[in-house]
Amino acid sequence: MQKQSFFFGLMLTLFMASCKKEVQTIYQVQSQVLYQNSAQKTNLKTTNQFISIAYNDLYNASISTAQLNSLNTCLEAFGDQATMEDIIIKNLLDNGGVSIPDSATMMADLPTFINQTYIRFYNRQPTGQELWKMQNIILQPGSNINPKMIYYSMLTSTEYRYY
Amino acid sequence: MKRETFIKSAALTAAGSIVMPYILPTGRLFARTGSRRANHVVFCLFAGGVRNIESMQMADGNLMTNTLNGTAPISSDIAPGMTALPQLATTRLQNLGTLYNNFSYAQGPTGHYNGHTTAITGKYTDDNIQIQQPPPYPTIFEYYRKYNSPGSALNAWWICDQLGPYPYLNYSLYPGYGPMYGANMIQPATIILGSGYGQLGHPLSFTNAQNSQCDMVKSFLNGQFKVPGAAAASGITNTTQDAATLESFINTLLTNAYNGQYNNPWGPTLDSDMLNIFFGIQVMQKFTPELMVINMTGIDIGHFNYTQYVDNIRKADYALYKLWEAIQSTPGMANDTILIVAPEHGRNQAPNSAIDSYGRYGLDHTNDTMSREIFCLVVGPSGVVNQGQTITSGGESVDIAPTIANILGFDTSIPGGMFDGSLLSQAFI
Repeated sequence: MQKQSFFFGLMLTLFMASCKKEVQTIYQVQSQVLYQNSAQKTNLKTTNQFISIAYNDLYNASISTAQLNSLNTCLEAFGDQATMEDIIIKNLLDNGGVSIPDSATMMADLPTFINQTYIRFYNRQPTGQELWKMQNIILQPGSNINPKMIYYSMLTSTEYRYY
Repeated sequence: MKRETFIKSAALTAAGSIVMPYILPTGRLFARTGSRRANHVVFCLFAGGVRNIESMQMADGNLMTNTLNGTAPISSDIAPGMTALPQLATTRLQNLGTLYNNFSYAQGPTGHYNGHTTAITGKYTDDNIQIQQPPPYPTIFEYYRKYNSPGSALNAWWICDQLGPYPYLNYSLYPGYGPMYGANMIQPATIILGSGYGQLGHPLSFTNAQNSQCDMVKSFLNGQFKVPGAAAASGITNTTQDAATLESFINTLLTNAYNGQYNNPWGPTLDSDMLNIFFGIQVMQKFTPELMVINMTGIDIGHFNYTQYVDNIRKADYALYKLWEAIQSTPGMANDTILIVAPEHGRNQAPNSAIDSYGRYGLDHTNDTMSREIFCLVVGPSGVVNQGQTITSGGESVDIAPTIANILGFDTSIPGGMFDGSLLSQAFI
């Protein structure tokens, strides 16, 4: 009897300990406001904005104040701002930590790559014509365009300077 | 062929044969109207406010032994505070040109930016000068590019040793001029050894073929985007080819910096003035620009430390001669360059109360008579510039810009009244 009581008590204790309130996990898609088209971009980014946004788009992290100040100072120290921005972008692209798919991944699903790249840098989806044309450019005979080249081209394009 | 068509064709052919010889390789329809004295000008702003008492009159000895004749030793009380510098010149610069030893910064506030602006624009300034924007009157760079070499900004350079307002001097706000005629500007210490060091210098590199493909992608992307309104000015713009050359040049400088090639390349520890001249020489040797303006401002330590002021005059003199040596050893510039040297202003006669460790007092520059007394040296080929000549009166800061225009042969193209000064004619044969 005592043994039965002991086992009953043990079972009851284990049962009570294992009872936990079920945690309900709610999965949501993080909302991202996309531009409907490029014509909505009418404001020129300041140099601070340009560098900060480029860093964020590449590293998915915020640039430190020190690094932002250093790069801004480099822009002040050179008369051709576009050329210096180009140098800065190339340096950001070549540092470790940037998430860039390889060419095989890009080619495995080119439309998705183009779509995701437009969203990543332009905050909008490509138009049908843009999607078609970009695929043609990448797929044309003799083309060795890789994802880094696409990223570089977009980051140094005119549209990327606007928001 | 019908008669009308024949006559029309003949007339067009005749007109073309008359016009064609006047379409120059540069694409300009009209050649510059004057002839050149030399094909290159280097103008050095020396070097943060120098009194003639210390430079020309050698009150503490000859502090510019590479520039000026004279053997007066450094005053014994401050001599221990001098940096050891080797003598570079066997023939001092004074003997290679014309020295104006009573030159004048005659009008306007005796501030560094005012002095720089006056020298680079040929116009005196006033207290209303804005230090957060380009100057109101055209710079010598814009005159040069508008009337000489509109295609490439690689022929005009402004090498400044500080940020702040100085980078603004590569172009102006004057209508009809502006960034499209501006000079390439670089403050090299920041990019190569300061903020840029560690941030830049490890760029993604593409092959020529890849660059072409990137250009194709970018061309498509840019064709899809309509720039809203007027595009904001972003400084000067180089052509695609020139921009690529510039990028490659900057990357080379950064690589050399990482490899330690710029650790005291002259032997003595380089101060900021020497560094600016050193990097200016790199620019000059790479691009052989027809017009380069470069400055030094380290002498301005004179506000707080007289002995250091004296030593920095010596260092600036050393750097200046290094610049001349580089000019004379650069193919394309050797014996075809006129070097102009002038301080932006002087310093006060009466010292301030800042005393240094050698018991000497500091010097400000607050518009007194002595702060307007400077010198100007014009150095160049013996068949062009009067050699070993000293002009003891006359000449003002505003004369430098029109003199540069005359040397490079475009002075008569500039509309009348744009300069406050005139040609330093006595310097030339």
